[in-house]
Amino acid sequence: MSSERLIRLLRSASFRLTLIYAALFVVSAGALFATVYWTATAAMQNDMAAVLRTEALQLTEVHRRSGLAGLAEQIARRMNFRTRGPIFYLLQAPNRRVVVGNLPGMPPVDGVIDFVPEPDAAETEAERPKLTGYGLTLSDGSFLLVAQDANRLGDMQRAIVRAFAWAGGLTLLLAIAGGAWLGNIFLRRIDTITRTSRAIMEGDLSARIPVRGTHDEFDQLVTSLNDMLGRIQQLMDGLRQVSSDIAHDLRTPLGRLRQHLEDARERAKTTAEYDEATDAAIEEADGLLETFSALLRIAQVEAGAQRSAFASVDLSALVRSIGEAYQPAAEDSLHRLQIHVEDGVRLTGDRQLLAQMISNLIENALHHTPEGSTVSVGLRKAGAGFEAEVADDGPGIPATEHGRVFDRFYRLDRSRSTAGSGLGLALVKAIASLHGLTIALADNKPGLSVILRRVGQTHAEAKDPSLRSG
Amino acid sequence: MKILLVEDDKQTADYIAKGLREHSHVVDHADNGRDGLYLATGEKYDVLIVDRMLPIMDGLSLVKAARASGVRTPVLFLTAIGGVDDRVAGLEAGGDDYLVKPFAFAELLARVGALARRPPITAATSLSVGDLEMDLLARTLTRAGKRIELLAQEFKILEYLLRHAGEVVTRTMLLEKVWDFHFDPKTNIVETHISRLRSKIDKGFDKPLLHTVRGAGYVIRAPD
Repeated sequence: MSSERLIRLLRSASFRLTLIYAALFVVSAGALFATVYWTATAAMQNDMAAVLRTEALQLTEVHRRSGLAGLAEQIARRMNFRTRGPIFYLLQAPNRRVVVGNLPGMPPVDGVIDFVPEPDAAETEAERPKLTGYGLTLSDGSFLLVAQDANRLGDMQRAIVRAFAWAGGLTLLLAIAGGAWLGNIFLRRIDTITRTSRAIMEGDLSARIPVRGTHDEFDQLVTSLNDMLGRIQQLMDGLRQVSSDIAHDLRTPLGRLRQHLEDARERAKTTAEYDEATDAAIEEADGLLETFSALLRIAQVEAGAQRSAFASVDLSALVRSIGEAYQPAAEDSLHRLQIHVEDGVRLTGDRQLLAQMISNLIENALHHTPEGSTVSVGLRKAGAGFEAEVADDGPGIPATEHGRVFDRFYRLDRSRSTAGSGLGLALVKAIASLHGLTIALADNKPGLSVILRRVGQTHAEAKDPSLRSG
Repeated sequence: MKILLVEDDKQTADYIAKGLREHSHVVDHADNGRDGLYLATGEKYDVLIVDRMLPIMDGLSLVKAARASGVRTPVLFLTAIGGVDDRVAGLEAGGDDYLVKPFAFAELLARVGALARRPPITAATSLSVGDLEMDLLARTLTRAGKRIELLAQEFKILEYLLRHAGEVVTRTMLLEKVWDFHFDPKTNIVETHISRLRSKIDKGFDKPLLHTVRGAGYVIRAPD
């Protein structure tokens, strides 16, 4: 681990979290330690005092029964045989002469006392034990002291401290190591995300964050981020495609416009010729404007900005009225236009856009089929939704091209020479998806069939009951 | 007619003002929303032509404010190539009609004419031009007493033309008013319907009522 990485690790959020937990642990362990320490010490002190007091009282009883001499004898015996408990005794006559005992004489004190006995010559300073004792002045004025090594208490206290120190230190160490380990794992995954976003910022839009397959929160986050990146890339690609398409497809009409204007300036001799050239230029300009307006419309529809105009639309009536609108034009171009509309199909949507969608499909069919062809427009209920179809018996579209006809500016080679912007079906697709309709192309054998399907209510309708038709 | 034009683009404003003056209208011009509102509320006009995008105060706010202070003058909105929302917002703000830029001047002229001569909303039960009579209740049509059968859409077209008898009605106006189409179909829907309508009402009569105005639209008028 490089020092830079170590610094980053120490500054990572998960490591900070670990440190906070460790600190919390230390505080609570400290509280526990203090409780245990004080309780155990107090209990032991009480215990020791009780033992000493009992011993002293027993000996008082001996003194009462058999006098100072008897007591001295008893003490001497106990001193010889006791190896644990109170093993230090002092019996001091009223004149402070030590009658019996293994402690040096001292001024009499009643009750519990902690003391360090006067040093013997043989003992060094370090070996002198700290004692705790119980003193009692007897009825004849002599002083009795029973004592015990106080180091037992100290031993216990030291044991408690040691235990806590070991356990606490080890836990703290583990916590920090674990925190570092965890932090490192998180850091590594975050690093991957950071690296990927850097790559994307540097222009590699296809970069994606690897998913580990653990289905944890990180994977979920990464999946969402990847989906988001995918969507952004798709939009960017679309944008790039559109700009290059525009640049490419508008060159031709702009070139023609220039030509017409040049004609007017260079060749027109009469007013009629001049008018003709200007009219041609105006027509060309109108075509260009129309293309722009169609592009803008597609962009607006794709952005979903048109939802505010959504209302309940009687699709049956709309399709019928559009069919009637096209009837004379279809007859004039020697087409048969058949309309089969089932009543009562409603849809929440933008009436204008839906009208344009159906019109574009009908126009497309009339435009790309020869004289004598039949174009049939159908609308029928299907389950909870409906199915709309515009079919013709014309030349159709090869199946290999089906996927591309909805692209902006896409035109079949045989349509290159005819009028049209190549945007009609792109707009149809945009409007269809805005309304939650799926669009499919099928071979009508012969001809082409375009089918718009609506399975159920849209997401927006399901969420907002006020949008529901009815 | 006295017309107020509120448009900030100088070229467009000059083009519109020049054209309107050539058709003997009086045109006042304001190049921002605040001046436009000042003129609209202070002077008496027959029609207001208001661009949507204006400096200081946008067209929508201008018309809302004017309507709020009691100005009832018909308003024609000019919008850049826009969606349905723009049109709806314009009408909701108090506009009476809208025109998407760029437009043919004939279109603007026809719409200004239609707005200014907007007939009072009356419960007329019949419309007529010359010897052509339309009964709006029975939904029947006669010419010189002879019954003529029309399809529903032909009836709607003729009704609109009759309501604007003597005025030029453009192709776009018919698309909007008859079919509620606010887009430009590539197919000659209007032309084919008009041609059928014409063959029904004018065929066999000496003097045609329905005329095509080249480069502008159609007009129905009584023979001189």
